[in-house]
Amino acid sequence: MSFLLPKLTSKKEVDHAIKSTAEKVLVLRFGRDEDPVCLQLDDILSKTSSDLSKMSAIYLVDVDRTPVYTQYFDISYIPSTVFFFNGQHMKVDYGSPDHTKFVGSFKTKQDFIDLVEVIYRGAMRGKLIVQSPIDPKNIPKYDLLYQDI
Amino acid sequence: MAPAERCPLCRQTFFCGRGHVYSRKHRRQLKEALERLLPQVEAARKAIRAAQVERYVPEHERRCWCLCCGCEVRKHLSHGNLTVLHGGLLEHLASPEHKKATNRFWWENKAEFQMKEKFLISPQDYARFKKSMVKGLDSYEEKEDEVIKEMAAQIREVEHSRQELVRSVLEPQAVPDPEEGSSALGSWKGTNSQAASTSQQPSYLDLQPAPELDWMETGQPLTFIGHQDAPGVGNIHSGAIPPWMVQEEEHSSGNQQIGPSHEEFLKEKEKQKLKKLPPDRVGANFDHDSSTSVGWLPSFGRVWNNGRRWQSRHQFKTEAAARNKQSHKEKKPKVS
Repeated sequence: MSFLLPKLTSKKEVDHAIKSTAEKVLVLRFGRDEDPVCLQLDDILSKTSSDLSKMSAIYLVDVDRTPVYTQYFDISYIPSTVFFFNGQHMKVDYGSPDHTKFVGSFKTKQDFIDLVEVIYRGAMRGKLIVQSPIDPKNIPKYDLLYQDI
Repeated sequence: MAPAERCPLCRQTFFCGRGHVYSRKHRRQLKEALERLLPQVEAARKAIRAAQVERYVPEHERRCWCLCCGCEVRKHLSHGNLTVLHGGLLEHLASPEHKKATNRFWWENKAEFQMKEKFLISPQDYARFKKSMVKGLDSYEEKEDEVIKEMAAQIREVEHSRQELVRSVLEPQAVPDPEEGSSALGSWKGTNSQAASTSQQPSYLDLQPAPELDWMETGQPLTFIGHQDAPGVGNIHSGAIPPWMVQEEEHSSGNQQIGPSHEEFLKEKEKQKLKKLPPDRVGANFDHDSSTSVGWLPSFGRVWNNGRRWQSRHQFKTEAAARNKQSHKEKKPKVS
């Protein structure tokens, strides 16, 4: 499934994507192509990408190739999905401790579509953080490991 | 002229006296009345031999008009939940009053003598009927018991199969939490897929259900790729500079063409579309052309804050001011 979505392999490419995607939600999936949960997520992303083509642009980023971003976004679990709009990082309150990214896969395609739509609408209204429409039951739970605690 | 008399059969007044009975009209009426009554009596007579007992139904309240006695008689005999068919009629027909009334009727209306017997039930017949009624009651009870037993067996079977289903699903599970499992099952996959998979291969339940059950709990555990902490370098939570804002060398390809290139033309078209978008959306005033300085992007991190963006922004600004002041102080110590 990951061969259906465009991939970004270097920091420069990611920079370019962030700066040049205009008036669309930019979805960056950070992970590895072989990881099973990443495969699930990639499946959902590729199946919905054409429906969301007017509202969003979806790219896959390999965490091993872009250590700068992996480190900047503090990506400890893969897959992690980060959203941008017009070069601005969009935060979403999923009910999980980390608002800056979505960790794990989505349960259904509709969940992802709803999320992208909510982000798009929020961005159109000038909001930098939006409330996720996904049922908290369907948000994957993970333990945020704090350092030295 | 004879005095006016009313014939109940013809439902008419006549003045002929005793002669009326022999008139054509009267005879016709008589024939029809008897013909109406006969089938009922015949049905009752049949019931003497084989009395039928049935569950009570409001239809059993029906009444029959006895011509001879001139009264309504309950056709079926019912008691509680059960009914004996034609019981009521038989009882009436066997009674002595009815016999007397029949005799009188026959004499008055001058009906055929042979017909009379058909409308009477002798006491012996009635006794026979009572015996068969008892037999009928017994057999009815037996039947009811059978039906109840059958239903119980069916219910037991269904319950059993349900238990099997639950058991077979719970057994090969890795997660030792049957309640969680069964409730998650119930709320997620429809029982269809589960039933299909378990009915087909109850012995080997794949990992398929197990990961689905674990979905929200432990995840088909997410791959952990290590603490992303490089001390000294900030990340999004600490409010560091995003990598895409970091100024880097830009390689410009030397394509010296005069006038707008094809790409630029397309970009112009895009810009036309932009005018239709809401003006207060995020990044509307994003200046694509200007080069951005380091401290431009107002992404403050502050994930762990509750509260409004304004507050985190305010905090950032105060901290930035403090930082600048400090660096200012270090750089240029004031010479007083």
